[in-house]
Amino acid sequence: MSDFHRSGQNYSSGPSRWSHCRKRGNDGSLRTHGGGDDEWGAHRPSDSRHSSFTTPESAGPVSRCGQSDWGSQVEEDDMRRDVHRDMQRYRRRILGSDATQRERRTSSGSSGSCDSREGENMETDEAVLLRRQKQINYGKNTLAYDRYIQEVPRHMRQPGIHPKTPNKFRKYSRRSWDQQIKLWKVRLHAWDPPADDCNGKSTNDDTLEELELGDVMDIELDFPTLENSQDASSSLNTLSFPAEDQDCVGTPVKVQRTESRADPDMMVKKPPAEPFIC
Amino acid sequence: MRILLMTVTSMDVLTGASVPSIMDNSTEDYRIQSFDVETQILLKTALKDPSSVNLKKVSDVIVDQSLKDQMFSKEAGRICYTIVQAEAKQSSGNMFRTNLLNRLQQEFKDREAMRGHSLQEWVCYVTFICNIFDYLKVNNMPMVALVHPVYDCLMRLAKPDALMNEVEVDCLVLQLHRIGEQLEKMNSQRMDELFFLLRDGFLLQEGLASMTRLLLLEILEFRAGGWMLSSTAHKYYYSEIAD
Repeated sequence: MSDFHRSGQNYSSGPSRWSHCRKRGNDGSLRTHGGGDDEWGAHRPSDSRHSSFTTPESAGPVSRCGQSDWGSQVEEDDMRRDVHRDMQRYRRRILGSDATQRERRTSSGSSGSCDSREGENMETDEAVLLRRQKQINYGKNTLAYDRYIQEVPRHMRQPGIHPKTPNKFRKYSRRSWDQQIKLWKVRLHAWDPPADDCNGKSTNDDTLEELELGDVMDIELDFPTLENSQDASSSLNTLSFPAEDQDCVGTPVKVQRTESRADPDMMVKKPPAEPFIC
Repeated sequence: MRILLMTVTSMDVLTGASVPSIMDNSTEDYRIQSFDVETQILLKTALKDPSSVNLKKVSDVIVDQSLKDQMFSKEAGRICYTIVQAEAKQSSGNMFRTNLLNRLQQEFKDREAMRGHSLQEWVCYVTFICNIFDYLKVNNMPMVALVHPVYDCLMRLAKPDALMNEVEVDCLVLQLHRIGEQLEKMNSQRMDELFFLLRDGFLLQEGLASMTRLLLLEILEFRAGGWMLSSTAHKYYYSEIAD
């Protein structure tokens, strides 16, 4: 009785559209899940891992092991879509400016800068872009950033004085990128809300803020030229950075708490006015 | 037999997709009348000024009510969507959505126990999660994270023991009417798998109520017709003809 409906009579002889999905072959026997049916592979939580599972650092599907809670999954999907959309916009912008640059160069006869080849040398690895975007989001998701963009509209920004968000589409080494992010966040602290309501550290904070900005003015200011990670680390050693980063040397005690709470695994929403620049 | 279908509580089946909403901003759309006054105020505030309320509490309140009140769970997605949008606009946050989803996930993990101790709650849960799937879209796409969980729930409803309960069959066909097409687009293989179960159930399972068999046949035809009924089929199932 159990296989009457599977009898050959009512079926076309060739494989039907769904035969690859069937649990049972035409003779009624159960197919094993493995058997060439890749489609069954990845979707059940209890299944063995899909063959395309890769470690988080590499490109390709990261799948379920990273964030298994639905909230984070949806956030990540959200971000992924945004990143792809950004990528398209960026490409268009670059292609547009490439064209005009080439025109200018041929007419003026000057040699081109490396900018013109930016479109070809773009970072496109999704995992890298997502990670970078997350880091950028942590920085933007602060009161300091809010106050900064309100105070200084984009067209009023002066290079060197006003922090600029690192460009996630440029090729950088991991170390170089991470340091750019740290530097950017440190500079953003200049716009932290006044720390009146905190544990009376305001005076220290103020002087430290000035100190930070002063140091910052001395080093490479325009991020895009921080190509070489070695340059970045040598020039940044004079700055204070959190102890958590093994790249940093001689962190003054006052600064130690700078970022230990701001990164990255915490769901930091707008933090209350805390003295991050300590 | 035909007239029977009209008296089924799942009148939404008739209208296929969800009832067209009144386009005004009245909170009656959200069916919050079943909440006590204090909670209604909380919800109304959440809709207008999300960052001023405890969004985790709001999501808990909504989930709790959805598990108790099937009328609410059928449309709770709408109020959730509005709060998500409001929060995103006001503070670029998604705390409400995150809390809501994680709470849904918690309940999902314990769904078998839930079903064991209250069929009603289980059915409310499925209705709710499907409604969230329907309404809470991200860039006009359903949330991928919910696809498998929703299928898992529907597959559970299609199992032989569940087919014996009219409330579960009712819930199953209602959800398929509302979100079947979208769900299939997200993953057609699992839809096929589900429908194998439904065919098996319809053909082989003994002791099914006649209403159940009617609902199963209707949903089989519905999907076969590309997620709609031909006009003749519609006449068969839904028109009252004096026999």
